[in-house]
Amino acid sequence: MGESNIYKPELMEVTEIIDETIDTRTFRLQFKDKELAKNFSFKAGQFGEYSMFGEGESTFCIASSPTRPEYIECSFKQIGKVTSSMRRLSVGDTIGFRGPYGNYFPVEEMKGKNVLFIAGGIGLAPVRCVIWNVLDLRDQFKDITIVYGARSFNDLVYKRELKEWKERKDIKTVVTLDPGGEVPDWDGEIGFVPAIVEKTAPKSENTVAIVCGPPIMIKFTIPVLTKLGFKEENIITTLENRMKCGLGKCGRCNVGNVYVCKDGPVFTYAQMKDLPQEY
Amino acid sequence: MEEKLISHQNMISLVSDLIKANHLVIGQDDKSIGWKRIADAAEIKINHSGIPSNVSYKEFVFAKTEPIFYYKNKKDDFDLVEPNLEERKIVFLGSKPCDARSIEIMSKVFNWDYKDKFFNQRAENSIIFGVACNYQDEFCFCTSVGLTPTTENGSDIFLVPLAENNYAFRIVTDKGKDFIKPYEKYLSDGNSNLSTEALSKIKHPEKRFESEKVRKWITGNFEHKLFDKVGETCLGCGQCAFVCPVCHCFDIVDEECNYSCGRRMKNWDACQFGLFTLHGSGHNPRDNQGKRYRQRIAHKFKYYTDKFDEILCTGCGRCSRGCPVGIDIAAVASEINFVANQV
Repeated sequence: MGESNIYKPELMEVTEIIDETIDTRTFRLQFKDKELAKNFSFKAGQFGEYSMFGEGESTFCIASSPTRPEYIECSFKQIGKVTSSMRRLSVGDTIGFRGPYGNYFPVEEMKGKNVLFIAGGIGLAPVRCVIWNVLDLRDQFKDITIVYGARSFNDLVYKRELKEWKERKDIKTVVTLDPGGEVPDWDGEIGFVPAIVEKTAPKSENTVAIVCGPPIMIKFTIPVLTKLGFKEENIITTLENRMKCGLGKCGRCNVGNVYVCKDGPVFTYAQMKDLPQEY
Repeated sequence: MEEKLISHQNMISLVSDLIKANHLVIGQDDKSIGWKRIADAAEIKINHSGIPSNVSYKEFVFAKTEPIFYYKNKKDDFDLVEPNLEERKIVFLGSKPCDARSIEIMSKVFNWDYKDKFFNQRAENSIIFGVACNYQDEFCFCTSVGLTPTTENGSDIFLVPLAENNYAFRIVTDKGKDFIKPYEKYLSDGNSNLSTEALSKIKHPEKRFESEKVRKWITGNFEHKLFDKVGETCLGCGQCAFVCPVCHCFDIVDEECNYSCGRRMKNWDACQFGLFTLHGSGHNPRDNQGKRYRQRIAHKFKYYTDKFDEILCTGCGRCSRGCPVGIDIAAVASEINFVANQV
């Protein structure tokens, strides 16, 4: 029977490795199958299942922008069996990939609007794909503001890009560190993300806010955004839950009757509010 | 539907022919524990008046464990090899109505958008010989989930036990009709009055709860203490999921054969296990047994119904009969009905 095997990954080559922090690394990956590489497309916010053969699969978002389709990037923290073995890979090694899965950020609908990006820690990875997507189509969007925070200087990811964004005149970039996490020559902000968002006070009119980060950051940032006048449907975030299949079958990532792998991972705050506390 | 008649002796001959034709005939074992491949037609046992087997036959369609691909290490690369799938017809002989619908119910999730070929190929190859059920105990509750002991829906062929070891042989689906064509010599003309009369004598278990009430109640009562109460008792052993004819959650795990090759396996999993939803960070959205039991109830009576308009339960009662601490899912659902009616 001609049905394809939905669980079988495609092979990709690691073409670049970037150390983001002491335990977080970014891989740039390219499909080995040239035909597939040419036809592969995805949208900002989608994720994939990355395989280490003999170890298993892990779920990460595609951290690169769909406007750069010649490769995909994923950022991962060494935390378990799969990510530990991924850390042992070198450039030229092979990894498996299934995807893209899930829904995506409404980039099309965001055109002609202001965009406010808020990220904390490794939460910058899913936001980064949208940032580059928007920046690569810069003239189709109005004001762009990026607020990014991490616990300490060493926890900042994508440092080279943060520098690049800071230097650009057509966007506003604010990087903050938690009090005590700064280094002597730190020239950014000091303080928690919600406070910095309030201080930066971007206007809410005709603006979409994209918020990703640790749950505690999201919890305190949303009231600030509401105070600034953001509507619940203009606050967009992602949910993460343990996944195995990524295809809506294995039965573990659901929050109530919503499957993060198929109905998500991108949700508006208006949708999130109706979900039971199961994430 | 066509009504025919088959004698027990002819049934044995039929099964014998099916085995000779290289079909996989699956029947219940003598001790009502599980289902096995029948090698000798004389050993068939059509269980119409005994207790449902401890485990359902879902493992022949949704395998307990199976390779989804093999990998071979090459220098700096891998070869991925597809497993061979069984292509024979699978005949389930003597499936009670609470089992007969299981494949149909599960096929909703396995074809939700992405199609699982491992499940589908076996499901398509399945021929179900259902049988009217003349057994009930305190755990049976098929009538609470939209089935009855005489439901033909789900079966391709439906047998009704008659006097003198004969069976009314009802051809329910086109699939069943095509399948049985080469074996029509074993069938004689049936009399639907006889089988209808036999069916009318079968007592239906009393309806224990309204499934729709459970579905509605869960919304808005997600944090109800009722779930914690059950959770305190539950050991999290997962037997309920493993004996269930429609529980379909699975895990994906790699197995290394040696340094040069290995395989990726799809294994049964259960929502009652603590590790089921554990994040890499240590966070667990369902971090106690109450939340895990809520998932079980809600998946069966709400989520699956919301998504696929199908109750993820056939009322067979296996999970309750087998539970080491006596949790009865129908009792929990009845309790929910009681609480819902109080409001």
